[in-house]
Amino acid sequence: MESFLWIGLANVVDPINIVAIFAGTMIGMFVGAMPGLSATMAIALLLPLTYSLRPETGLAMLASLYIAAMYGGSIAAILLRTPGTPAAAATVMDGHPMARKGQAGKALGLSLTASLIGGVISSIVLLTVAPLLGRVVLNFGPVEIFAVAVLGITIIGTLSQGTAVLGLFSGALGLLLATVGMDLTTGTPRFTFGILDLFSGINFTVALIGLFSIPQAVRLIVEGNPKDEDRVSSLRDRMLPTLREFVNLLPNSLRSSAIGVFTGLIPGTGGDTASWFAYNEAKRFARNKSEFGTGTPAGVVAPEAANNAVVGGALIPTIALGIPGSSSTAVLLGGLMVHGILPGPSLMTDHGDVTYTLLWAVLLANVALFFVGLFFTRACVAVTKIPNRVVGPVIVVLSVIGAYAINNSMFDIGLMIAFGLLGLAFDTFRIPTPPLVIGLILGPILDTTLQQSLLIGRGDWMVFLSNPISATLLAIALLSALQATPLFGVLGRAMKRRPAGGQPAPGGTE
Amino acid sequence: MKTSMMALALSAALGTTAFTPAVAQDYPASDVTVMQGFKAGGGSDALAQLVQPFLAEELGVNFVNEYIPGATGAIAWTRLAKQTKADGGTISITNTPMLTTNYIMNPSITYNISELTPIANIVTDPGIAVVAADSPFNTFEDFVNAARANPATVTVGNSGVGGDDYFTSLQFERAAGVQLQKVPFQGDGPSWTAAMGGKIDASFTNVGVSFPQIEQGNLKALAVFAEERLPDLPDVPTARELGYDLVAGSSRGYSGPAGFPPEALQQMIDAMQRVVDNPEFQKAAAERAMNIDFISGDDYAAMLKKQEEQYTQIWDEIKDEVRNQ
Repeated sequence: MESFLWIGLANVVDPINIVAIFAGTMIGMFVGAMPGLSATMAIALLLPLTYSLRPETGLAMLASLYIAAMYGGSIAAILLRTPGTPAAAATVMDGHPMARKGQAGKALGLSLTASLIGGVISSIVLLTVAPLLGRVVLNFGPVEIFAVAVLGITIIGTLSQGTAVLGLFSGALGLLLATVGMDLTTGTPRFTFGILDLFSGINFTVALIGLFSIPQAVRLIVEGNPKDEDRVSSLRDRMLPTLREFVNLLPNSLRSSAIGVFTGLIPGTGGDTASWFAYNEAKRFARNKSEFGTGTPAGVVAPEAANNAVVGGALIPTIALGIPGSSSTAVLLGGLMVHGILPGPSLMTDHGDVTYTLLWAVLLANVALFFVGLFFTRACVAVTKIPNRVVGPVIVVLSVIGAYAINNSMFDIGLMIAFGLLGLAFDTFRIPTPPLVIGLILGPILDTTLQQSLLIGRGDWMVFLSNPISATLLAIALLSALQATPLFGVLGRAMKRRPAGGQPAPGGTE
Repeated sequence: MKTSMMALALSAALGTTAFTPAVAQDYPASDVTVMQGFKAGGGSDALAQLVQPFLAEELGVNFVNEYIPGATGAIAWTRLAKQTKADGGTISITNTPMLTTNYIMNPSITYNISELTPIANIVTDPGIAVVAADSPFNTFEDFVNAARANPATVTVGNSGVGGDDYFTSLQFERAAGVQLQKVPFQGDGPSWTAAMGGKIDASFTNVGVSFPQIEQGNLKALAVFAEERLPDLPDVPTARELGYDLVAGSSRGYSGPAGFPPEALQQMIDAMQRVVDNPEFQKAAAERAMNIDFISGDDYAAMLKKQEEQYTQIWDEIKDEVRNQ
């Protein structure tokens, strides 16, 4: 086992693998920056390119692509208010206001720094305790995952920002829409109206593209280029944070990284869940909570550190047990099998050299991303210099391509546009969109794990309280909900005191 | 650097997907579209990546994969049955039992196997019953006795309603006269993991996906649902040996639309036969833990027909019970 660690390191510094890592980073950043092109899709698209490469080279390329796509997602989120990946949706909340305040460079620099911290921490965790941590995952069955999802639902409270009723409405609508599709335990199609395309449920990536991109594109087209302050056209400020800023944000980065690693570890929850979790926690720990949503650095650092830390966490169950921790690692797992490697504990023994090469590649890709990002990001700002009325239609085109490419489905294009219209309506009536997204992501998890738990417990609801892990998680969820209650009041008053209309907050939370 | 890398990767990729005709044959199409009802990177794709490079060489045609995921394959198979020209230019990977259970269980899925031309089954992953390493069940009989003593109490995971393991559980209940507490998961991985972590008492899953864990001693295999004992698991009895008439698994092969040109069908079957006889192919399949189970033409059609009958009968008996859960 020890020797594999060093064989892996020796493999990874092979020039071909270094080239693969840098190429993967470049492509990943580009693909991730396009709205609607997720890290999962980036991996899926590039997978065929790696068939002919050696396993370690191909996997190193896929891993660096995944990591860079996570950062690429935040470029679009910060500059254009269109999260390139679902995981970057939380970055929109404070990243875009920062950019509007003329701190686009700082926001991107923070994102890059936080990604580096999150990525390096999670790779180190991955390298040292992967075989050990894989065991933890076994403790998470349906009962425990249900409790995690319930805890996740309490995030809706924080995302509602003074409009508790509208936030809960949005979250409930998300949960309701999540029930569309075949019931896992009975096979009965629900709310599908006989349409086969709805049998697998609403693909939340499709919904997300519509909800976030279409209203933004419409806004860009309608508004045109009225005032410079409304759009982000240049990186006037320096990207790298000062040492002092760095030190101030370090506790936040570390906490968010830890959240990312642990969230990634739980199968079925990926960067999207982790970034909202981290954002929520950063807000809870912050002294001035009302700064969140208006462009505070902490609101960028938290989701960015978390969504890169997820990579390492998600790879742990993938590698140790062959259970993908997120949809992207599921595709990565497909990559392993294409290269003739069966997942599971044998990855650490029979294929230890390839596995450890992959793990080192993850670490190296995070470092590569930092440097590539410093150069590429400047170039990327050129995108924002294009007039709004050009960018808007381009976003629509990319959204259509993105929605289609996920399942090669024309139906999904229509679905994306429908969600776009819903997003527009939400914007018009000032209903927050993020709770809807949380509902859509967590709905299917809640639904299936609840039914599985009740089957396991033979219909007895006490199954959730007699299990120590789930009982603890549910107690935390209860506390989280209670704690948020007075917060609504405080925030509500704070919102009302603002000048009429307030400033448009990102993510549809105005 | 970047462009040359891309060019290199691109040309390499083209090399694997677009094969130049090696032998001039008169297959009616020069490009054959292969519709897959599942996402790229899944089990169907693994079969496509394994078989099609060899098949392309045998037939002298290009194979182009088209991924149409959704409704457990039903979107792709509906298109195959209803909207595809039977000119030999389009075929689909057909996964059983989902190919038949889809429309048996859901009236809104309207295709059926009479609208298809089965070409050949290529691989089968046999079913297997596994429990956690520290499970009190040491033999299949322990498991059966516990299920018999406490009806609807022993929890058994499967890969999802409509999948092979779900119907294996139903068939086993009938064969053994017991009632299990069936817990559906989303795929085999979550099912055997739950068994490994002791979250459920047992999992009915497949050999290919759980073998590494069995080998490592993390899972105990109680019985395989195969005709004969498996060479890799010589100590694990078959359910048949133990007196339960149960042979089940998850199979993948190829089918075309109804009215497939007979000459093209024969060429396709012959080429597939040559592929599975090729030692290089056998080696590649073994490396990917794929168990070759070649059943072609009328035999494949008969296999599908038999499954359709069996599953229709089972589903008719239990559907009201399932719906009322």
